[in-house]
Amino acid sequence: MSFVVPIGPQHPALEEPEHFRIEVKGEEIVDVDIRLGYVHRGIEEALSKRTYMHGLFLAQRVCGICPVSHSLTFLRAVEEVAGIECPDRARYIRTIGAELERIHSHLLFAGIAAHEIGFTTLFMLFWRDRELVLDLREMLWGNRIHSSETTIGGVRWDIKPNQVPKVLRNLAALEKEVKHYIDVVGSDRTILARCANIGVLTKQMARELCAVGPTARASGVNWDIRRDDPYAAYDEVPFKVITERDGDVLAKILVRLREVLESIRIIRHALDAMPGGPLRTEFKGRVQEGEATGRVEANRGELLYYIFSKGGEKPERVRIRTPTYANIPTVKPMLVGGTIAEVPIVLASIDPCFACTDRVTVVDRNTGKSKVVTKAELRRLNK
Amino acid sequence: MPRIQLDVLKNLLRKPSTVKYPHFKAELPERFRGKPINDRERCISCGLCAKVCPDRAITYDEEKKPRFYLGLCIYCGRCAEVCPVKSITMTKEFELATYNKYEAVSK
Amino acid sequence: MEVLSFLLAYFVFPGLLFASVFGLLFMGIDRKVTAHMQHRIGPPVWQEFIDFGKLLGKEDITPAAAQGVVFTLAPLIAMGAAITVMLLLPINSAQPALTSAADLIVIIYLLNIPAICVMLGGYSSASPFGAVGASRYVVQLFSYELIFIVTVLTAAVKVGSLSIGDIITYQAHNGWLAFKLPLATAAIVVAAQAKLLRVPFDIPEAESEIVHGPFTEYSGPKLGLMRLAYAIELFAVAGLITALFFGGPVAHTIAGVQIPGVVSFLIKTFAIVLFTTNIRNIAARLRIDQAMKFFWTIIALIAIVNLIIVVL
Repeated sequence: MSFVVPIGPQHPALEEPEHFRIEVKGEEIVDVDIRLGYVHRGIEEALSKRTYMHGLFLAQRVCGICPVSHSLTFLRAVEEVAGIECPDRARYIRTIGAELERIHSHLLFAGIAAHEIGFTTLFMLFWRDRELVLDLREMLWGNRIHSSETTIGGVRWDIKPNQVPKVLRNLAALEKEVKHYIDVVGSDRTILARCANIGVLTKQMARELCAVGPTARASGVNWDIRRDDPYAAYDEVPFKVITERDGDVLAKILVRLREVLESIRIIRHALDAMPGGPLRTEFKGRVQEGEATGRVEANRGELLYYIFSKGGEKPERVRIRTPTYANIPTVKPMLVGGTIAEVPIVLASIDPCFACTDRVTVVDRNTGKSKVVTKAELRRLNK
Repeated sequence: MPRIQLDVLKNLLRKPSTVKYPHFKAELPERFRGKPINDRERCISCGLCAKVCPDRAITYDEEKKPRFYLGLCIYCGRCAEVCPVKSITMTKEFELATYNKYEAVSK
Repeated sequence: MEVLSFLLAYFVFPGLLFASVFGLLFMGIDRKVTAHMQHRIGPPVWQEFIDFGKLLGKEDITPAAAQGVVFTLAPLIAMGAAITVMLLLPINSAQPALTSAADLIVIIYLLNIPAICVMLGGYSSASPFGAVGASRYVVQLFSYELIFIVTVLTAAVKVGSLSIGDIITYQAHNGWLAFKLPLATAAIVVAAQAKLLRVPFDIPEAESEIVHGPFTEYSGPKLGLMRLAYAIELFAVAGLITALFFGGPVAHTIAGVQIPGVVSFLIKTFAIVLFTTNIRNIAARLRIDQAMKFFWTIIALIAIVNLIIVVL
C-alpha cells in the first residue's frame, strides 16, 4: 500500500519552496513526482523591459548565492552582441570575484549538507569559515554577496595593493581549515554511514539526463566550461578539474570541497599575474541587432543566457537556463529505491537553488508555439 | 577517536567567533555601501543619478535635489559613481529598519 | 501526615519542582556548552525556563482530525511517570522517598511510559510526520530497551539485590560499580543517548527530515508539558545511571562543613549530562536501520558479555 509523503513546498529540509511528492511503501521510495514553479517571479519578462545596464542588476538578483555567475553570463552574452571586449585587468578581477563566490557557495552547501544529516557542529564550523570569504568580498567591493562589481565592459572598482595581504591571509587560514574538513568528512564513521553509497548517480545516467556541474563531475563526467569554453581569464590561469568516480553523496561533497582548494589556488595565481591597465571599456548603451549565447561554469554547473536584440537600448528577449534546472531530473533516479531518511541529503546533494530555477514555459501543442507565461497571465489562467 | 573531537574541545577554550550584536558591532570596511546621502550645497541638479538608478528609487523634491527612497534602493552605488561633482556618498549606515516604509527617505 | 509528606515529596522535593528546575537547568547548560563547542555564544542558561513560560501563554491547538483525548492526555501521563521515577531515585541519601522491595523493576517500567506516551501522541495527531516519527520511535525503543534492561540487571546481579537503596550501600563500601563493570557502564551510557533522543540517535525527532516527528502537531501548553516531561526524563535517566554506577548521593564533610548528599548527586548527574552533550556534538544522525544494527550487534554484545562475566 503506497503512502504519499509530501516534501514541500514548506519543509525544513528545503530553503526555498518546491514540491516533491514521494510515494513510499513502508520506508522505501517507489516514485517521485517533482513540481516546480513556486519561485517564479517573471524575471525574463522584466529583463526585456529594462535597458542592458539596469537589466544587469536584475540578472544578478535572480539568485541569492550566485550573483557573480549570473552577471558574468549576462555580460558574456551582452558583450558579444554589442561587440565590445573587456580589458585584461578587468578579466582577472572578474575571475577573482567568480572564484571567491565559488568558495562561499561550496562552503554554504557543505554546511547545509552537514545540517541535513544532523551534524550541526560541522554546519556551524563550515559557516564560520565562510565568513572569512564574505569578509573579503565586503572589503574588496562593498557588499558580501550582491557586490555588483562587474559592469558592462569591465569592473567598477580596482583591487588596491594594500588589500592583497588580507586576502592572502584569509585564504591561507581557509585552506588549512578546508584540508582538515576534507579529512574529517572522509573519515568520520557516522558521516560515511549517512553519505557513502547513498543517492548514487551512475556516469551513464548523468550523461543521459544531461547533468551539469559538480553533480556530474562526481559521477565521473569530465566537463568544466572554465576549461572547455573559457571566459574571463580562465584560459591564462592553470587549474585542475576535480572529478570523482562513485557518484554518491559523499563524492559530491568531496568534489565541492576540493574545488574550494582549487579556487584558492586560482585566486593566488590571478593576484600574482594580474596585468595593469584600464578597468572598463565604454559602453554607449545602444546595441546593434543580433543574438548571442553566454555560458559560464556557475557554482552549480553550466549557466546559460541567450539574448536576442533587435537593436536599441533594451533586449527583445532574454532566456535563462540555470544549472539546477538541468540537475533536477537526476533527483528521481537517485531517490527511487532509497528510504525517506535519505530524501533531504540527496536533495541537498545536487546543491539546489530553486530561486534560479523557475521559469515557466507553456508549450501549445496544437500550434507548436511556445511562450513565456508572465505572472499576470498565470493568475488569469488559474481563475 | 573521531577527528572532530579535538576541534570541539579546542573551541571550548577559545573566545567565540560571534559578536554580541547590538551591544558590540563589527568594524565595517571603507568600501561598504550603506545609506546614500547627498551634499545639497554641492549638488548641481544635473539629473544623472535618477537616470542611472536601476530601481528608479531617486526622485526630485521641490528644490530639484534628489530624494532617495530607501525602500526601493538596492545600495548599488551607481548614483555615487556617476555624480559629476561627487556630492553623493554611500555612508556606512545600515540599520535602516522603520515602522513606516513610506517615510524611509534620505535627502 | 503521611499524605502531606507524600505530596511534599511529589510536588517539591525531589518531585516536580526540584526535577523540573534542575532538568531545565541542565538542558540550558547543555545548549550553552554545545554553542561554545561550535565556537559561538549561544542562548543564556535560563533559556529553557523562558521557553517554557512562553509556551504556557500560547494558543492550544488540537488538529480537527486528531484523537482529542489521547492527544491531550499523552503529555500529562508522560510527566506523571517521570516525576514518579524521581520519587524512587535516591537523591539525598541511600533511601529514596518511596521504597519497595524490587524498585529497579518499577523504575525500568516507569521510564518506558514517557516513550509510549510520545508514540501515542505521534499516532493520535493526524499528521504523516507524526506517524512516521512514532513508527521510528517504536523501532528505536525495540533497539535500546533490551540493552538498558540487561545493564541494569547486571548491576543488580553484582550487588545481589533489586532494591536501589542496597546498590548505593554496596557502592559506599566497595567503590563505584563503574570500575567493576566498565562494559555495562559504556553500554548504558550509549543506551541512554538513544533513550533521550539525542544525536546520533534522535531519529524519531529528526528535524530536517520529518519536521518534528511525533511532536509536530503539539503547540502551546501541551508542547510546554512535553518538553518539561523530557527535561525531567533527562534528569531521571542521568540520575539512575549515577545511582547505579557512580555511587549516587554521598554526604561529605569538608573542613568541618556538612555537605548533603544531594550536592554530590547533582554534580555526578551533571557530569554524565555533559558527557552525552559531547557525544551529541561529534556525530551525525544515523538512519533507523543503521541504529538498530549498531545496537543489536556491538552494544548488545558488550552488555551481554558483562552480564555473563558477572553471573559466572
